[in-house]
Amino acid sequence: MTSRIGIKALMLLASLGVVGTAWADDPQFTLVIKDHKFTPTELQIPAGAKVRLVVRNDDATPEEFESTELHREKVVPPGQQIVVIVGPLEPGTYGFFGEFHKGSAQGKLIAK
Amino acid sequence: MIAVAIIVFREVLEASLIVSIVLAASKGTRGRGRWVAGGIALGVLGACVVAGFAAEIAAAVAGMGQELFNATILFAAVGMLGWHNVWMGRHGKEMAMEATALGREVAAGTRPLYALASVVGIAVLREGSETVLFLYGLAAAGSGGAVSLVGGGTIGILGGAVVGAALYLGLLRIPSRHLFAVTSWMILLLAAGLASQGAFFLNQADVLPALGNEIWDTSWLVDDGSIVGRVLHVLIGYVARPEGIQLVFWSATIAILLALMRWLSTAPPKAVTRAAAIVVLALAGIGLARGARADFTIHPPVVEYREFEVEHNGSYTFDPNPANKHNETGTLEIGYGVLPWWGTEVEFAWSRTASNPPRRLDEINWENTIRLAEQGEYWLDPGIFTEIGKSTRVGNTHHLEVGPTLQKQWGNTVHTVNLFFKHPFGPDNSEKSVNFNYAWQSLWTWKREFQPGFEIFGDAGPVDRAPSIRDQQLRIGPVAYGKIDLAPGLGELKYGLGYLLGLTHGTEKGALKWNLEWEQVF
Repeated sequence: MTSRIGIKALMLLASLGVVGTAWADDPQFTLVIKDHKFTPTELQIPAGAKVRLVVRNDDATPEEFESTELHREKVVPPGQQIVVIVGPLEPGTYGFFGEFHKGSAQGKLIAK
Repeated sequence: MIAVAIIVFREVLEASLIVSIVLAASKGTRGRGRWVAGGIALGVLGACVVAGFAAEIAAAVAGMGQELFNATILFAAVGMLGWHNVWMGRHGKEMAMEATALGREVAAGTRPLYALASVVGIAVLREGSETVLFLYGLAAAGSGGAVSLVGGGTIGILGGAVVGAALYLGLLRIPSRHLFAVTSWMILLLAAGLASQGAFFLNQADVLPALGNEIWDTSWLVDDGSIVGRVLHVLIGYVARPEGIQLVFWSATIAILLALMRWLSTAPPKAVTRAAAIVVLALAGIGLARGARADFTIHPPVVEYREFEVEHNGSYTFDPNPANKHNETGTLEIGYGVLPWWGTEVEFAWSRTASNPPRRLDEINWENTIRLAEQGEYWLDPGIFTEIGKSTRVGNTHHLEVGPTLQKQWGNTVHTVNLFFKHPFGPDNSEKSVNFNYAWQSLWTWKREFQPGFEIFGDAGPVDRAPSIRDQQLRIGPVAYGKIDLAPGLGELKYGLGYLLGLTHGTEKGALKWNLEWEQVF
């Protein structure tokens, strides 16, 4: 229950955050890469909707955000952030990883 | 060191396979070594530049710079490979006919080696820039030390080169007279795979719809990340979980290049420019074509032997009820008349409904038409139509459809009837019952270019518990078809246009339907 409220709050925050950008209508979520790990490692997103995923790289080295299940691969230069548009997705779990540090950089998107 | 070597190996492998295909394809051409070496050198240089500007590229075009950059260079490579094959189709025979070795060499010297060299450059640039970024990252982080970095990098590059060399030596074992045919096919498949990757990036940039996120999943058999997966990815464009749009681009590239290769091998030079214009128009047409399902199509008991066709059918509904207001259906079909009595076709069908707006690939269908008698042999021309359809959307059923198709010509008129039974199956099947649908078409064969008439399409629903006629679907309306010959050797263009009125409560008020088809006999 608390997580539901948390998601709603996050979505509200996210939607406030993107006002003024080109895709202002799509909900936005942020993933941070630090020490070759993703935070959060599990991210809940709404199923059946297009979502903007902002991936920020706080490391000093490049990373490649990749997911075979989401059909996405995109280089994230050090200190930069990129946007990955995903969905609309069927409900389910979708793994993603950092191609350059596969050992530690692993995470999941959960579409509900 | 091993971890570094493995990542570098995987990136180098793809570029190295492409280089070996190009080297094998250009065997015996003077100066190819310099061209290919130049391509590799420029590719390495380009890779460093691209890696250096990674941040700028990523931020460009509203954050979609990487995708658009990748898609652009991939499609450039597809164009170059296509141009090479078309050129070889035109000049390969002349080259072989040159009596002397010197004459052959001179003829071969005019081959578009720059096309192949640019493909090598692009392959090295694409795979190389990721390798550079990765190695730079390791060096910047100071992790693992210089030995691991240099050692791993070297092992990876050498390993990739060895696999490429193995493929090259393997290809050289093919007798010269077959080598050209084999490498043409490899280049065709390579181009199709690159086009599918280009479509992947355009989808990621939100420019193209996915038409289904995962048409199938064969990662249990060959995973994309495995070495075999990587090799197949280059050789045939293998993807374990393809998107619908990737399949469409893959098939369309093969179909278009194959058609161009055959068609331009004998056409006069003027026709070549005209052909290029038509391809551009056709591509634009496919790009604009929205939605489709094969519902409003008549299947005559006719097989056009040895005829290759690319076809698009579409419909767009109008209804006061918001749920049916503007539904679209669309298909892209590629077919061939294999035998005088058997024609086969693969169809990609997509749709978009007012209630579920994303346009997605619904089905991939395999259609077969079997002609049971010569035209005019009996009072009615009989045939059988079969279709097996794989649903590409969760919650939808697969289907098997079969039934007679009958045609009768009377003077200047031709009448066709389809009586089809559709059996849904698969894990998501809740209907468990056979559906019956019927269609009638009458045309006045006034002129080849313009044949007006009418069509009726009905869907009676499940045969064991058919709904009342009021709830069945029934449509009738005017249609017109025609054929236009393109320049000699360029095949013919067929069009169809109609407007169907919904007659029952269960049908939308009106539907516009259209059809565009290009046919060429080989």
